[in-house]
Amino acid sequence: MTQQGSSIPTPKRHGISATEARQLSERVLKFSKAENARVNITSGIQGFTRSAANRVTTAGVQDDISVQITSAFGKRVATIDTNRLDDTSLERAVRESESLARISPENPQYLPELGPQTYSDLDGYYESTGNLSTESRAQAATLGIKAADAAKAIASGYIEVRAGSQSIATSKGLFGYYARTGVSSTLTVRTSDGLSSGWAGSEGADWNTIESRRVADDAVRKCQEWRGKTSLEPGKYLVVLEPVAAGMLLGLLRGAFDARSADEGRSFFSKPGSGNRIGEKLFDSRVTLISDPSEKNAEATPFAPGGLPIRRETWIENGVLKELAYNRFWAERQGVAPRSNPSNLRMSGGDASVEDMIKSVNRGVLITRFFYIRSTNPRTIAYTGVTRDGTFIIENGKVSRPVNNFRFNQSITEMLSNIQALGRPMRVAGEDGTVGAGIVVPPMLVRDFNLTSISDAV
Amino acid sequence: MKNSEIGRREFVQLAGLAGAGLVAARAGGLEPLLGFQQNSAPAPDAAEKELVLRAIDAARSAGASYADARITRMSAESVNTREQQLTGVSRSERYGIGIRALVGGSWGFAATRDLSNDAVSRTAREAVAIGAANDRVNPVKTALSPVKKVAEGRWITPHEIDPFSVSAEQKADLLFKTNTSALRVKGVQFVNSGIDSVKESKLLATTDGSLIQQTFLRMLVNVDVTAVAADNSDSQTRNATIPPMARGWEYVVGLDMPQSASRWAEEAVQKLAAPPVEPGTWDLVLHPSHLWLTIHESIGHSTELDRARGYEANYAGTTFLAPPDRVLNKLRFGKEFMNVNGNRTEPGALATVGWDDEGVPSRSWRIIDKGLFVNYQTTRELVGWISDLTRDRESQGCAHAEGWWAIPFPRMPNVSLMPNSRDLSEEEVIAETKHGIFIEGNGSYSIDQQRYNFQFGGQSFWEIKDGKRFRMLRNVAYQSRTQDFWNSMALIGGQQTYALGGTFSDGKGQPSQASSVSHGCPVALFRNINVLRTA
Repeated sequence: MTQQGSSIPTPKRHGISATEARQLSERVLKFSKAENARVNITSGIQGFTRSAANRVTTAGVQDDISVQITSAFGKRVATIDTNRLDDTSLERAVRESESLARISPENPQYLPELGPQTYSDLDGYYESTGNLSTESRAQAATLGIKAADAAKAIASGYIEVRAGSQSIATSKGLFGYYARTGVSSTLTVRTSDGLSSGWAGSEGADWNTIESRRVADDAVRKCQEWRGKTSLEPGKYLVVLEPVAAGMLLGLLRGAFDARSADEGRSFFSKPGSGNRIGEKLFDSRVTLISDPSEKNAEATPFAPGGLPIRRETWIENGVLKELAYNRFWAERQGVAPRSNPSNLRMSGGDASVEDMIKSVNRGVLITRFFYIRSTNPRTIAYTGVTRDGTFIIENGKVSRPVNNFRFNQSITEMLSNIQALGRPMRVAGEDGTVGAGIVVPPMLVRDFNLTSISDAV
Repeated sequence: MKNSEIGRREFVQLAGLAGAGLVAARAGGLEPLLGFQQNSAPAPDAAEKELVLRAIDAARSAGASYADARITRMSAESVNTREQQLTGVSRSERYGIGIRALVGGSWGFAATRDLSNDAVSRTAREAVAIGAANDRVNPVKTALSPVKKVAEGRWITPHEIDPFSVSAEQKADLLFKTNTSALRVKGVQFVNSGIDSVKESKLLATTDGSLIQQTFLRMLVNVDVTAVAADNSDSQTRNATIPPMARGWEYVVGLDMPQSASRWAEEAVQKLAAPPVEPGTWDLVLHPSHLWLTIHESIGHSTELDRARGYEANYAGTTFLAPPDRVLNKLRFGKEFMNVNGNRTEPGALATVGWDDEGVPSRSWRIIDKGLFVNYQTTRELVGWISDLTRDRESQGCAHAEGWWAIPFPRMPNVSLMPNSRDLSEEEVIAETKHGIFIEGNGSYSIDQQRYNFQFGGQSFWEIKDGKRFRMLRNVAYQSRTQDFWNSMALIGGQQTYALGGTFSDGKGQPSQASSVSHGCPVALFRNINVLRTA
């Protein structure tokens, strides 16, 4: 816990405390008659303030808890999730999970619950975020509205706060607890004629790192600079991806580091013949991808839903595939140690700023962010999507003019082999403005990025 | 937008769950259906009724000029298998109250799972306090269109068998039979399948005096069959693309999945050997299992009035259909035979309700009439903005929240393309195609933030030569612009080809909410569409 000044009463944290989580888990486990039982609890608040058309349109808060009870008899297992905490409801939920488990067919992949584990002693809860008031959110939203107003433009933005806790307990004596906060602020500024749009965002665990002023200024600036967009043909371009654009693509890799689908021959990481490609150099030597629950301002839960510890992992090091994630079942089958999927992601970078990268480009495209990214081919980790809110052509080391948006069709694995330069990594906001997993990535200069058709959208 | 497989929702897993027939315009034709439902639908629970009334009273006393309160109990069950193994059985229940209050011109919303009297009153006051705080910092005006009071409304999804009365064992058994049937086909190595059942009870009270109890049932079935090349060099998956429906267990039984699974399996194997498509210009014949999603993205979302107003600019985007006075009754969406209805009345469709979350009765209306864009989708807050253009002063009933924890806002009704009055068959439509591709099912999908440029894949692709299907293709995606695309629609099938498709996970808003929606359509032929190869 972060200590506050001794004379100031500390407001209660959102979500249940470690002691409450332990007590609630024990109440549930006492009702249990199963051979194996597990309780996963998630609790806390989500608060939001939305603005559009230069006004606050909606704001609110929700407070909820989820008590997930897993019961198993041999390999017959079922899960019940409830948000009712009285004894009658909890006992009913336990009984229901048991009767559901008893009538379920066996799940050969189910392994008995884990006993005590060692988790890193992390606290991802920032009081600055947990104690943020409705007024403060409204004032931050008004900052964006006023900046847009002053530029005779229209703001629409979103500020979201999440604060709460997660815990895990098993009938084998395991207990884990983690508290965390997250906050995201994103802003779109459009000209009143609807012909230009700019976006900026900031996301973190700590409200004190949210740069409301910078977000307002950047969104207005992007909107002004993109005014009067000109046409540019589709094609393969050298592109500068701002950190948010890079993060939207790289974050998708988290789901791809799965050993089983690789071993089963249905992933990019499958080895022709059989097995997977651990140990092979697959990308540019500057590519190093890690996940680390203790990443500052992008902290993540140190345990997986089943109880496996989540530790710092290096997935790609200097372009070489170092690890894949193995769930307990698959690890046992393959005779290796289990390893949890990444929950956050950091890509190492260099020292270059976006401006430095632009200076090095003779002819290329600067991309602010993407939208509606969807998989087109899991074997090459290829995606399609569109650019939006600030797309520019770079000529002779300068951003020379705004251009139309594009649809892209691009393999991320190919992109990681086509790197020219990497900048300073930063935590980025996501596409939907919801507080998401911590993605910390650098801006990237990438050659042969496949912009396949024009998008007229603004 | 349809939520993708990798969401950003894992932070605090609080938000959300997990991702045929009637055609003619039915404006005003809902009463018989409602009348029937009134008799069989459950009445409100007495304790819940007291709580929602307490909530709106507390909000009014605290200074709200309007308030509504919803208690929802959302039960969801998911049974999942792969090959001959069960991979998960889970049930969840989220029960709580959400209260929305209008203070001055600002909305405040608060929701809690705590249904004690004190917590409900406190939450109502919190909703008012949030509205008041925003009204102080940023005062605005908000007007709501009139609505008739519904003293006691009741509605339930028409169904025969409540899916929660069917055991998980029975559900798993059906999935295993389906998987076995697929695995019998040589070359098929993996099958993932699942059945999701949802039951939602919703009690709404508004300060207009309405009290409405509704119960919704929804079923979603998924089957993915994967064939892997002998040397591991390639794998292809055929998704069954079974439409999710607002019906009971009888719907799933009637699908005869074990029978159909061998066809999906054979198509997965055929995809491995199929030649990749030659990129270029092709005619496309789109099956309803595919076309519903193109309708959803390019017509459903572009005709949302909140997007035209800029309310979704920061995420989902705006729309090319703006401002209203420049496009309503002026913009040509497609040819004379293109008619599109918005409705919340189509039987089996996922957005069908008795009333929306503002107590507005469900109805059906034209969005595109003889190819011309004539109306948007509206709520009580939004309809006044265009009522001089449409002469429609009442909300079309599109307010919806995904559960008690979420604030109601404009959501898509069922948006359906009407079939040809000549009852043409699929074969008759294919017969009009010399050099084309027939596409079934949904693959990758993406569209820009103003709904111009889209790209869609599919599940199975058949080359059409001289009016006949003759071989399977793969790695097909087409890319077009909304207006170009719909104006290239050359022929549509009749009633016999009409079917619903839909999703449980249409994502929109901030915080992003999922909603369930269906789209009906006949098979349709489109000329000269740009086709890409996705490999």
